[in-house]
Amino acid sequence: MKSSYFVFIAIAVIIIIFIASSVKKSRLSIKESFWWMIGSIFMLILSIFPGLVNWAAKIFGVSYPPTILFVFCILFLIYMVFRNSKRIAVQQEKIVELSQQIAILKNKDK
Amino acid sequence: MKKDKILFVIPAYNEAMNIEKVLKEIKKDVKTADIVVVNDCSGDNTREIVENNGIKCITMPFNVGYAMAVQTGIKYAYENNYDYVIQFDADGQHIAKEAEKMYKTMKEDNVDIVIGSRYLEDVGYPCPFFRKVGTNIFKKIIKIFCKKTIADPLSGFQCLNRKVIEKYSKMGNYPEFPDANLIIEMLLSGYKIKEVPTKMRIREFGESMHGGIIKPIKYMINIFYTIVFILLKYSGKKKSEVVKDEK
Repeated sequence: MKSSYFVFIAIAVIIIIFIASSVKKSRLSIKESFWWMIGSIFMLILSIFPGLVNWAAKIFGVSYPPTILFVFCILFLIYMVFRNSKRIAVQQEKIVELSQQIAILKNKDK
Repeated sequence: MKKDKILFVIPAYNEAMNIEKVLKEIKKDVKTADIVVVNDCSGDNTREIVENNGIKCITMPFNVGYAMAVQTGIKYAYENNYDYVIQFDADGQHIAKEAEKMYKTMKEDNVDIVIGSRYLEDVGYPCPFFRKVGTNIFKKIIKIFCKKTIADPLSGFQCLNRKVIEKYSKMGNYPEFPDANLIIEMLLSGYKIKEVPTKMRIREFGESMHGGIIKPIKYMINIFYTIVFILLKYSGKKKSEVVKDEK
């Protein structure tokens, strides 16, 4: 068995532990960690069963199997980035709303 | 002896059809308690109805969701030195008279949280399929990890004492769905929880927040995922250590 096999499993496990410990130390909320956890568990599964990539490549008719991996990774990251952008936009609106309300409250008695 | 200050915390989102009846019932049946309605930026005239009834209404600047609305009410209780909080639904499901029973149990048995339970005794509450499955799964999980039977872990009808009010109001990560996961966390932290059988009604108007098919599935996944992390957080910690930590 190739040594890279174990390296990839180790990387996936380290990422999972890193996410879990971040949540445990309250540096990441449980809600925010969900998709990262799904992604890293997916990575762990693929590193334990690398044959899955070849199998998926065959189904999609891709001649070079790692391409499939790249496509999935990029799609996942696009989703995460887009999700973050959406959240930032919503939070921006909320911050403005809050600032306006605080400003009105502070100047009420003046 | 000092008289206990009791506050009903009622989170409300578009409950104009139900809220007036609920407020009148509490005013009639529990005369000694105060009421605060946390209006979660409703689109209807919930706020006007509440204020016309002479009840304190906290209106959120934007929609924050059920859990954060509840926490807002609990924070209000903490800052205004209330001894007990009764979490009450705005949809008319909960019966105000039953709150007195919960309050009495809390005083007599010296517990921290009293849950108004639909399923502890057969009080004739109809149970939809999803709720039944969810309730049973969570009941089993609580039994396994906390060695305690909670018959209705999804009940929003709860009575909290000052210790719990303080804990909830200072919780930075108050969960999005404060149900079974919060009960597990409180049990593992060494708080005492007791259930009291209570009657409940079926909601008359409007839609439940757990309606449809996708929402309950999302809800279940969310709660399971949260429970895993709570168990992880408290694994290896003894109850006494946790309570000491918090002091």
